[in-house]
Amino acid sequence: MSETAMSYVALVLGWAIPWLLGFAILLALDWPRPDPGASLERGGHAALRLGYGYFVGVLLLTLWMRILSVFGARFDWLTIGAPLLIVASACLGIAARRRAVSFVATRDAVTALWRPQLPRWQRIAWLLLLAWLGLRFALLAAEVAWQPLYPWDAWVQWATKARVWYELGHIVPFVRADAWLAGAAGAYFDASPNYPATVPLQQVWSSVALGHWDDSAMNWPWFLTLIALSLAIYGALRDAGVPSLGALIGTWLVSSLPLVDVHVALAGYADLMMGAVYTLAALALYRWTLHRDRCDAGIALLLALACPSIKIPGIVWALTLVPGVVVALLPNRGLKLVALGFGVAALALLALGKAETVILGYRLKLAFEPSWRSLAESYFFFANWHLLWYGAIALTLLGTRRLTKPPLAPLTMIVAAGVVFLFVVFAFTNASAWVGDYTTVNRATLHLAPLLVCLGVLLWNEMTTVTHTSVPAHATALAGTPVAADA
Amino acid sequence: MTPVESPALAAAPGTHGRSTIVGVLIFVAAAAACLIGYLALTARGPWFGGPPALHWAAADFKVTRGTGRLGPGGLLVTPDASGTVVVSLNASFRSRDYPVIAWDAANVPEGVEVGLLWNTDYKSSSMFSRPLAIEAGQVAPADLADVRDWIGTVGGLALVTRGALAEPLLLRGVTARPMTPGEILSDRLAEWFAFEPWNGASINTVTGGANYQDLPLPVILATIVLVAALIYAALARWVPGAVGAFRPAVVAAVFLAAWFVLDARWQWNLVRQVGATYAQYAGKSWRERHLAAEDGPLFAFIEKARAKLPPPVEPAARVFMVADANYFRDRGAYHLYPYNVYFDPWRNTMPPSSALHSGDYLVAYRRAGLQYDPTQERLRWEGAEPIAAELLLVDAGAALFRIR
Repeated sequence: MSETAMSYVALVLGWAIPWLLGFAILLALDWPRPDPGASLERGGHAALRLGYGYFVGVLLLTLWMRILSVFGARFDWLTIGAPLLIVASACLGIAARRRAVSFVATRDAVTALWRPQLPRWQRIAWLLLLAWLGLRFALLAAEVAWQPLYPWDAWVQWATKARVWYELGHIVPFVRADAWLAGAAGAYFDASPNYPATVPLQQVWSSVALGHWDDSAMNWPWFLTLIALSLAIYGALRDAGVPSLGALIGTWLVSSLPLVDVHVALAGYADLMMGAVYTLAALALYRWTLHRDRCDAGIALLLALACPSIKIPGIVWALTLVPGVVVALLPNRGLKLVALGFGVAALALLALGKAETVILGYRLKLAFEPSWRSLAESYFFFANWHLLWYGAIALTLLGTRRLTKPPLAPLTMIVAAGVVFLFVVFAFTNASAWVGDYTTVNRATLHLAPLLVCLGVLLWNEMTTVTHTSVPAHATALAGTPVAADA
Repeated sequence: MTPVESPALAAAPGTHGRSTIVGVLIFVAAAAACLIGYLALTARGPWFGGPPALHWAAADFKVTRGTGRLGPGGLLVTPDASGTVVVSLNASFRSRDYPVIAWDAANVPEGVEVGLLWNTDYKSSSMFSRPLAIEAGQVAPADLADVRDWIGTVGGLALVTRGALAEPLLLRGVTARPMTPGEILSDRLAEWFAFEPWNGASINTVTGGANYQDLPLPVILATIVLVAALIYAALARWVPGAVGAFRPAVVAAVFLAAWFVLDARWQWNLVRQVGATYAQYAGKSWRERHLAAEDGPLFAFIEKARAKLPPPVEPAARVFMVADANYFRDRGAYHLYPYNVYFDPWRNTMPPSSALHSGDYLVAYRRAGLQYDPTQERLRWEGAEPIAAELLLVDAGAALFRIR
């Protein structure tokens, strides 16, 4: 076997370990637990576990690498890969004792994903769509394999850290220019020294697994992120009662968004992972609102807490989940409370804007200066989002009533908070200039777009699903919350 | 309570077949209606027949003001001392047959005044003019159908620009358009399916074909979906015998079909991009890929510089990277890691000389204003006292110094 082939085998093994770790942990936790009233849907649950497993594994991998650095241990296969593999094996052992792992279960799950029980026309559509997605993923994989690190910020503020940490074998601090010029000992400098470590640590692990620096091959996590996001979205939609073909269509809608694909092909930015983790946090939270399973809440919390470790605005994205929690916990008064919260936030914005306060690098200002033309071009005229925003507007108009009622109300409030966040950034901060020159508007929107697609598919499903009783299936879970909880 | 699968996605086989046929027919009908409506609003020439478009290439141009240089990509023109460019050509065509003049020009920044000049046999002693708009760094086509002086036989055309240009104006050609429906449709298709290769802005925005588009594809497709939904709702309301009762699944199918059209265009662009990437990088090691990249010469120089630097072990040597262009400065710094690199990511500045210590290194790449005196072994730049430095490596427009 050639040296290149060996390197790639090592890279595949390297990324299989964190993925297996996350998958095994979820298996050991018996997550996702099937809805007691629903039939067991193996394909959807397997996809959900696989998709979420990747992100749980990656976050634990980067957490472990941080811990290693704190204790001065050097990054290598033994210090990173071996412990993760041991934990993954232990979790698989726990799952095996519960008989959660079996050949039959695996075979059924693969069959359900590959050849679900569908009428003939749907099976044809299913296979055609899978082939279309397969071609898309193959094209993106080719770009990841051959394209050297390309986009600007990737090599002025993300991979800079990866290169240094990989070559030195541990994390070293990056500091601002003035501190560096003043002679900060052992400190490095790049364009954004305060940016978090999660993304570059993935590139470091790729390089450790490969055994050498290669700024194309280190970007495979971006491709894996899209695959895992697709699996998780398919699983989440199936889990929420969307039919197999509908869930696959929802998955296609997300993975076909050109800006999502660009962020895989031209890997190196943190926005795709930010969007993926945020989407999965919101969907786990949504699952919690339906089932009140602690594991759902735990996963939602883990992913929400991870948001600020991916990008600095991740802290705001994590906070946008709060309205969803409020509406879920207080089904009767939640919407009013959230509306009140938005009002208070608007007042706070006025006060902070008057003082031109800088928050997370954005300078707030009272001047209302949205760049409507650029925004319209970005959302409606250019190819960034296909027909996402047209569809979102149409569905909002057609489904307003369902959006504000269980089971979708919590997810609606999350998306609404996200849209408000984007609007405030684009209209009331110095970022409005970056809308005008198209540099930030779409990347910021990328954080919300996958979730918006999911909400659209779930809304459509709610609007078109015929139920045999007047109460929607999931509403019972929400409505089951004691009214006293409002008190 | 048992939820039943969404009718959009699961229906009885018989009804589904009918819905599909209805959906397809309505989509096609709506697409035809929208395109015919668009052409009716925009076409100026006859629907059948009509003269062919007239095109003049860059080689046909004469630079009247400014300095021109004909290259493989077109005519590169720099303004004269007054900041003016005038490029002209001789022509002979009936103005009424050609209502639109489209200049194929690039590198036209916002804020520059651009105008079209022409003369005709109607008033041969007069020169007429009309200001032109700039869209995405290009000159927008000029619609002259309703311009009073666009009359008679046109004998010459000229493009004039006034204002500072960041880089030379690139002129590829000019076309006189008859604006027949066929030509318009062909232009739109060419815009929608123009190859959009990766560029510095791709990570931020995907235009979806040509940089400037008269009718973006998402807009026409969204309109088609809306029209199709209205047609279908009307038919379901008033002619239910033809299409059956209203089924949201049909509207969803139309929406997905429109999405698929956009996605097919995007997939086709990706196929072409992968072909380009393959041709440039496939089968190469990561070093060879960098040598084949846009900044290959910079990478090659940094590789030479790295060979002169001590090994990058902790504590790694401090290296200052300077260049006039942001791209070279930032990119050079990236290639220098894991050395302890300093660069100004946003402005073309030199580091304060007080920050440079003995044992530090300085890499200069295409940086004007940097002077080295080999006899004195002193390095100096604007606004700073000379510092002692040793020249370790020199290449075309690039050098590596060790600070003493």
